[in-house]
Amino acid sequence: MRAFDYFESKTVAEATKYLLDYGETARVLAGGVDLIPRMRKEDFKTDCVVNIQRIPNLDRIELDSGKELRFGAMATLRSLETSEWVRKGYPAFYEAIRQIASVQTKYMGTAVGNLCVGTPASDVATVLYALGASLSISGPEGDRTEAIQDFCTDYRCTSLRRGEMVTGVSVPPMKAGEGSAFVNLVRTHADIAKLTVAVSITTEKDVCREARIAIGAAAPTVFRASKAEDALRGRPLKAQTIDEAAQIASGETRPISDLRSTAEYRKEMTRVLVRKALEKASVAAKG
Amino acid sequence: MSQELSVVGKRLPKWDASVKATGAAKYTSDLKLPGMLVGKILTSPHPHARIVRIDASEAEKLPGVKAVITFGDVPKTIFNPNKLGLILRHPEGEVKDMYVLSDKARFVGDRIAAVAAIDEATAEEALKLIEVEYEVMPAVFDAMKAMKPGAPKVHDFAENNIALHKQFPVSWGDVEKGFKEADCVVEENFRTARNHISQLEPCACVASLGPEGRLTIWSPSQHIFLHRRKIAEIFGMQEGMIKWVTPHIGGAFGKYGSLSLEPVTVALALKTGKPVKIAYSREQDLVGTELRQRYISSVKVGAKKDGTLTAVRENLIVDGGAYFSHNSSTTDVNMGSFVGLYRCPNVDAHADCVYTNLPVTGGVRGYGDSEATCVLEQTIDKAAKEMGMDPLEMRLKNVKKPGEPSQTGLPLETCSLEAIIKLGAERIGWKEKKQRPRQEGTKKRGIGMGIMMDVSGAQPFNLQIRNAFIKFNEDGSINLSTCIADMGQNLLGTMAQMAAEVLGLNYEDVHMVSGDTDSTMFDTGQHASGGCYQLGHAVIQAAEEARGQLFERAARKLGVGAAELSVKNRTVYVTSDPEKSIPIADVAKGATYNFEGEHLDISGKGSFSPTHNPPPFAAAFADVEVDVETGEVKIKKIVYVFDCGKAINPTTVEGQLQGGVVQAIGYALTEDYVVDTESGTLQSDNFNTYKLPSALDMPEIEVVIYEEAAPSGPFGARGVGHGTMIAVTPAILNAIYDATGIIVTEAPATPERILAALKKVV
Amino acid sequence: MKKEIVTFVINGQARDLIVSPNMTLAELLREQLDLTGAKKGCEIGECGSCTVLVDGKPTLSCSTLAIAVRDKAILTIEGLAQGTQLHPLQQAFIDHGAIQCGFCTPGAILTAKAMLDENPNPTRQDVKEALGGNLCRCTGYVKIIDAVMAVAEGMRQGGAK
Repeated sequence: MRAFDYFESKTVAEATKYLLDYGETARVLAGGVDLIPRMRKEDFKTDCVVNIQRIPNLDRIELDSGKELRFGAMATLRSLETSEWVRKGYPAFYEAIRQIASVQTKYMGTAVGNLCVGTPASDVATVLYALGASLSISGPEGDRTEAIQDFCTDYRCTSLRRGEMVTGVSVPPMKAGEGSAFVNLVRTHADIAKLTVAVSITTEKDVCREARIAIGAAAPTVFRASKAEDALRGRPLKAQTIDEAAQIASGETRPISDLRSTAEYRKEMTRVLVRKALEKASVAAKG
Repeated sequence: MSQELSVVGKRLPKWDASVKATGAAKYTSDLKLPGMLVGKILTSPHPHARIVRIDASEAEKLPGVKAVITFGDVPKTIFNPNKLGLILRHPEGEVKDMYVLSDKARFVGDRIAAVAAIDEATAEEALKLIEVEYEVMPAVFDAMKAMKPGAPKVHDFAENNIALHKQFPVSWGDVEKGFKEADCVVEENFRTARNHISQLEPCACVASLGPEGRLTIWSPSQHIFLHRRKIAEIFGMQEGMIKWVTPHIGGAFGKYGSLSLEPVTVALALKTGKPVKIAYSREQDLVGTELRQRYISSVKVGAKKDGTLTAVRENLIVDGGAYFSHNSSTTDVNMGSFVGLYRCPNVDAHADCVYTNLPVTGGVRGYGDSEATCVLEQTIDKAAKEMGMDPLEMRLKNVKKPGEPSQTGLPLETCSLEAIIKLGAERIGWKEKKQRPRQEGTKKRGIGMGIMMDVSGAQPFNLQIRNAFIKFNEDGSINLSTCIADMGQNLLGTMAQMAAEVLGLNYEDVHMVSGDTDSTMFDTGQHASGGCYQLGHAVIQAAEEARGQLFERAARKLGVGAAELSVKNRTVYVTSDPEKSIPIADVAKGATYNFEGEHLDISGKGSFSPTHNPPPFAAAFADVEVDVETGEVKIKKIVYVFDCGKAINPTTVEGQLQGGVVQAIGYALTEDYVVDTESGTLQSDNFNTYKLPSALDMPEIEVVIYEEAAPSGPFGARGVGHGTMIAVTPAILNAIYDATGIIVTEAPATPERILAALKKVV
Repeated sequence: MKKEIVTFVINGQARDLIVSPNMTLAELLREQLDLTGAKKGCEIGECGSCTVLVDGKPTLSCSTLAIAVRDKAILTIEGLAQGTQLHPLQQAFIDHGAIQCGFCTPGAILTAKAMLDENPNPTRQDVKEALGGNLCRCTGYVKIIDAVMAVAEGMRQGGAK
């Protein structure tokens, strides 16, 4: 690994100052699971590493007074997996983390770090899209909040401006009549998803009131299949409506072929996975 | 020897398990010597290019750089990195086409230059300062295209890139007549998987020229004496001036039958006069160490309607990559396995070994037998289906019986195929599963099988010389000296069990001396699962000789004839009067510290060259579920019956079988070695892209050790490790066929390929 | 880049070592302390052969900057046995044939230890999930899982942890 300037920040303000100074060649070290191997392979130029692991309270997971789940930038995947609030309150989020095969990755890696990598194949990002999460961002011009779907702007690109870092994520509570589901496809269990889908639907008397369908690894970023969502909203949740929505969702994908899968397969499997996820979520919504 | 065995057949811990459990075991990549330099290799970014000019002057000037070498600096000895040319009875097929550093870039990853520097960062920096001017030439990545006139020529001497045309020397009968006589003829074309064995320790080598001018090499070589001779020939040295040591090996599976990093490391060590270590990264290991050939295999099978085979034919185009290495021998084994697995009156096989601008191929687990058996077994299933016959019944019709020739041509002393097929079928529930509903919801269920016959060494094709030496310590323990380095298969522990059995000692009384050309006797090395069978005999001989000396000395003490004695439990005793005994330790000490002027270091030597080659046999069964919506294949269960003759250590044998299953699963379903066909660059260059099965990908595995003693085997044992994938891969692929009607002609059977194929199946 | 002398706590012992920020924990352990039990199998965090425990958590030392863990309790395979007394997992791996080439062994043992420390009563599926990030090419995982289950069973029957 090439030489770099190394700083351990004690506060977010300190961290953002280094990020501002160094700009594009500054890297935030949270878990390091994605960062360190890439630095070894010199995937990008790194002049500065800002270690945020020791900023107090950045690993917190809490439910605020509005029952919104909030977790900080240093909350590890493992700590989220073992949080009762996540397990009981956000079963799809729990499932997305649980199925990550590498235990080491979960102990080291953070959910926020995972989001900031900005890969569309992220299970965590996909499920947080479906749950309507938003990110708290701090920077030289102050703090701001951003909906997750605005945060990921392109393949491995985020909306972070120079000097900014994500400090946490908040996830609105699941409502009565809301059900969620997560499902993906992988080559081996210990693999990045070739396609990942998460949905959340709210039903009232078997009619879909609200729908969020998030699809990962089928476009340059995770995205919400908004046309499919529109096709569900206000309609009864029958097999036919679900099938139609799944078909529309498949049409909204812009997948590529890579080592993990083909564009054609991803497109077709979107239909299958969205259908399965919607079926699961409608059962969950009733229960 | 007593019928009742005390050590052989027992589940004992692997001889080196404790040093591995504590982290004390040193592998080549762990070694450190004082003053050791770090070596790095500059490889070609082009798949095919002439080297116009190399300027290493800037690299040489970099502080901390001790040597930079290019083609101009290395011996101009052309060689084949595999050891077979030294031991094959018919070495004509061994094409030599490699230099220590390449004269021309023939694949992305070909070795162009190397540096030795004081640390890794300096070595990396130095590589970047080496200026290479390439004349990029058109490249070819497909063997069919490579054979066409006008295709880019990978090696000047190979017209149409054909390195060698091979007709299997032992074809018999008349296949055309055989096909005419058949009631059913099926054909199929396969492209076997380019698969990388991916042992967990990336390749490494350390070389050091000692002050006395002797070179020491540490590497995971499986043939340290043969490789020593190759290095001596390449560098114009004498064998005796080279000492070769194998540290602990983090997996080999046959790959280190070839020289790997040794030539370059030695070149740097000789140039600098200092110890040099080259340790590959995973990326470098995946592109720079040998992988399986791709066999473009055209198979034709003819059978009578009762299932009896009338003719089998295999035409092979061997896509062997940029250098020849094992291509001749793996192809021979492929063809021999193909024509020899079943009884068939008319057989034919021939092959063209072709060069392409792709990474180098070699010989790993199965060594051509894996690939041949897989395509044959898949075609047998196709023939069975066409005749409406149970594929199991068709196999039973054609499996060989004792007395018939094995795949090596030597007569079968035993053949348990029929018995193990029936046993495995019962365990998997073949009959019931064949009759269950084919589809439940979106899941199709299928059951498949594969059988195999493999080898216990490379007799009669190669010189096979195994030596063992045993000497007693004064405490009654022994040092067992053999030239085998353990790749994980516990060969040394197995040898210790045999020695202990013969000498009436406990397993822990055997101290190993191994993997060192200075302290062990010559050995042609470990390949083709010859260890247990061949070395076992040498060890038994050595033990028997030592036992003879023990008895001779003990007889004096006990006042009886040596022929009246036996050993057990560390004691020599009179067979007819066990109370009359003397501890082995006392005999040993008394012989060593002998004041009567007749001291003796009780010892024994054993030397063995085989005349037989009893195959291990296996039958594997797979129960799979294929999701017709997603194409995903889920293996529910594998039953794997393996006739190893005698399981010297049942835990070891089971472990080898279970490991073979995982590798077969990877080969069949998940491991895809992908080279970009425009740039020639390896895309699947680490474990995030080249996917090995994890613990979560394992199905239920039932391994069954079957023991029909090989009459010529030590304690009845046959070879194991080499053959442990062979039957399992076709079992999985045939199960997919049974479930879906899809013949997987190109593994891995990824969901994408299965789904695309499902659409084509009516 | 500046090199610093930093105190590390490794296998219960405080050590002052020269470290620069661009050194991974794997490099520190292997190069400076000759603790070569943590292996470099892939260096991208996929194989688990480099796993050590940092404050009891299974950690990929190839993907960890050494300087970032300077005041944490680092346990490597070399520190697991108490003198000549092997940890039950080490003994079980030996007894159950869970070790072939041994390259994955240190990482697998430490990962299993962390799992048992948290969940002393695992199912076979729990053990598989705990080992999801530890690749093995030799054993097919079966005997590794057998060994871990045997230790859990031993703990249930009142054996030492």
